[in-house]
Amino acid sequence: MPPFSFKFLVSVFGEVLPYFPVTLLIIVTSTIFSTLLGVLIARGQLSQSSVWRTLSQGYVFVLRSTPPIVLLFLIFYGLPKLLLLTLNININDWQKSIFVVIALSLLFASNLAEVFKSAYLSVDGGQREAALMVGLSEWQAFYRVTLPQTIVVALPNFANTIAALIKDAALAYVIGLVDMMGAGDNLISRNFGHHSLETYLALAIIYWIIFVVVEQGTKYLEKRLGKSRAIASNPVEVTA
Amino acid sequence: MNISFLIHTFWLAIKAIPMTLLITGASVLIGLPLGFLLAWIKIKKIKILYPLTIIYTSLMRATPMVLLILLFYSTLPSLLNVILNRHLHLEIKIFDVNPAIYAIAVFALIAVANLSEVFRSAILTVDPGQQEAAVMVGLSPLQTYYRIIVPQALVSAIPNIGNLTLNILKGTSLAFMMTVQEVTAVAKTAAAYTYDYTEAYIDIFIVYFILGAILQLGFKFLERYLSRHKVRGTARQGA
Amino acid sequence: MLKVKNFRKKYQQHEVLKGIDIEVDKGDVVALLGPSGSGKTTFLRGLAFLTPGDSGHIEFDDQKIDIQTATSEEIKQLRQKMGFVFQNFNLFANKTALENVEEGLVIGRHIPKAQAKQKAQEALKKVGLLDFQNQYPSQLSGGQAQRVGIARAAALNPEIILLDEPTSALDPELVADVLQVIKQLADEGKTMIVVTHEMAFARDVADKVIFMDKGLVVEQNKPIEFFDHPKSPRLKEFLSRISAATVAHNGFEYEKATIIGNKES
Ligand SMILES: Nc1ncnc2c1ncn2[C@@H]1O[C@H](COP(=O)(O)OP(=O)(O)O)[C@@H](O)[C@H]1O
Ligand SMILES: [Mg+2]
Repeated sequence: MPPFSFKFLVSVFGEVLPYFPVTLLIIVTSTIFSTLLGVLIARGQLSQSSVWRTLSQGYVFVLRSTPPIVLLFLIFYGLPKLLLLTLNININDWQKSIFVVIALSLLFASNLAEVFKSAYLSVDGGQREAALMVGLSEWQAFYRVTLPQTIVVALPNFANTIAALIKDAALAYVIGLVDMMGAGDNLISRNFGHHSLETYLALAIIYWIIFVVVEQGTKYLEKRLGKSRAIASNPVEVTA
Repeated sequence: MNISFLIHTFWLAIKAIPMTLLITGASVLIGLPLGFLLAWIKIKKIKILYPLTIIYTSLMRATPMVLLILLFYSTLPSLLNVILNRHLHLEIKIFDVNPAIYAIAVFALIAVANLSEVFRSAILTVDPGQQEAAVMVGLSPLQTYYRIIVPQALVSAIPNIGNLTLNILKGTSLAFMMTVQEVTAVAKTAAAYTYDYTEAYIDIFIVYFILGAILQLGFKFLERYLSRHKVRGTARQGA
Repeated sequence: MLKVKNFRKKYQQHEVLKGIDIEVDKGDVVALLGPSGSGKTTFLRGLAFLTPGDSGHIEFDDQKIDIQTATSEEIKQLRQKMGFVFQNFNLFANKTALENVEEGLVIGRHIPKAQAKQKAQEALKKVGLLDFQNQYPSQLSGGQAQRVGIARAAALNPEIILLDEPTSALDPELVADVLQVIKQLADEGKTMIVVTHEMAFARDVADKVIFMDKGLVVEQNKPIEFFDHPKSPRLKEFLSRISAATVAHNGFEYEKATIIGNKES
């Protein structure tokens, strides 16, 4: 093992940061799709129809136990086969990033559904009733009264879940996608396995900065949004 | 779809379950008391240790699990080799150590950081009036802590401990990077001969579904059992 | 038995207690009255060092404590002579009614388990809750919870019991039972300081009534004198503001308690 080189550590930033946009794009698109799907599933869980309820609850229950790397490989290897067999669609030449986004969206939709559901349920039903009694329609009561409060309550757990998504996105390199992790992996190969400590440390620092930015951004948002409501929730999302 | 491979590999994966459970169980069990210790340091803001635990927790929670594993596994054995053998001349065959030990170490480090946050908030949600009532009937601070505060904190922390255990369980699917022969590694290796990766990952998926389901139900049961005296909706305490 | 001299307490700039002097004789029940925010809770919690005062002296029998220099050993010794009944009960949520009462006997007083259980059951019987001994606090009504709280304090046989608005967190129909239990303790000769808004109760049970306002003791007297011939304008105003309706209502609840009590005894 060559001695620790601080110079090399610094040079790693120059090697991997150019791939930050790839990582960012994956994170942003996965966040959007998992949020949309998560809202749908949360609706399903709260639905009157027992079919929708069972389906969405089953989805959450199964996906909660699925390791990200397993879903990623399953989508990467399995989805092209499935589509070719059933619909005769060939997606083998799709970009790898698309598989990553699909896997992360499916996975985190289940976490976000739980976040949205419990936030919605925590908003007092009396709020809706009061809105109806002063003449708002059902829809107006939802988007003028219930929804804004739901968003404020959901925000801390939403941010925690996205932080977990960001971390799991680091797995994308295992299917050969060249994001920041992939670039770091290539760098280590080019150095025949040497300086892996410096490389991983540099990556860890970058992820730590991203985490702190998300954390502080959420705190700021919470403060701005939370004024209208004394939030008593005390979320500790396990982000391991 | 290679059905016979699917079935054959499923049994191989099943046989690797004990390793997966060993890593999960050991790291969480190590994490529980240490997590309480760190939570206590954070709440009491113990000198010197307090900023260290804060930084440690933040780093462990911010870094992707895969990166932590790579970081430790690429460094720790060589580092131990240098320290123990070259400097202390202990002649320990570091590279023969069962990699499961390293895996347990990494996941325990992760568990400690997360559990310390879980316990910190659980302890803080215990009504301060409980402590006041305890000193008035003559309990010492230590007695108050382990007879009144900890039991209540543990109950309210159960769902979060369950989440953490589930996340560690899922995380062990990365232990193959440390050459640990757990569920994922075994199935992957089997697929390497025939390229039946889809089938292998279906097997892994099913095994994790079973383990995860048992764990989720187990913690639900535990939660219900431990809070059996809490009648829902009528808890007038600590309002 | 208990003498408090020049008790002071500040929260930042805000002077909450401006020098309280109080004397309590053995066997006396002292009712502490005063408008909300006058510092009654702060004073009572200060006596027990739950939130210590800034300065002043406490004399309890032959123990003399300077609040500024009190050691944890002195505080421990003082608390052993005291029981505290909280406004919101503070029953140990992880323990049954019986275990709540036993806890102080076994752990605090080192009484053998079997003997402690017997004492605890006696205490629960006195407050009429022996049948509820295995219930957890969340399974008790507010009135039952507070009676367990009183049993927990009384079982330790402290020299004085401090009660901070023991009935104000309760639904009106549950107040009577709790007042009845307190009256029973008074009849047994227990020394108590009770912060309360139940005027009829104070008038009937207390040996001395103390009126506090804005961090000072404004007036103290025997109950009849206190209520029928208030001297200071502030007390007069306070008594008139506690409208006739409230007094009538509280009186009604209290009289109901006395009737029930008489039937039982
Ligand atoms: N922890 C605290 N911090 C700051 N001010 C306090 C605190 N506790 C009580 N106070 C203030 O002290 C005053 C007396 O309060 P308290 O003793 O609770 O009155 P009472 O019990 O007579 O209603 C009030 O003005 C209250 O706002
Ligand atoms: Mg008060």
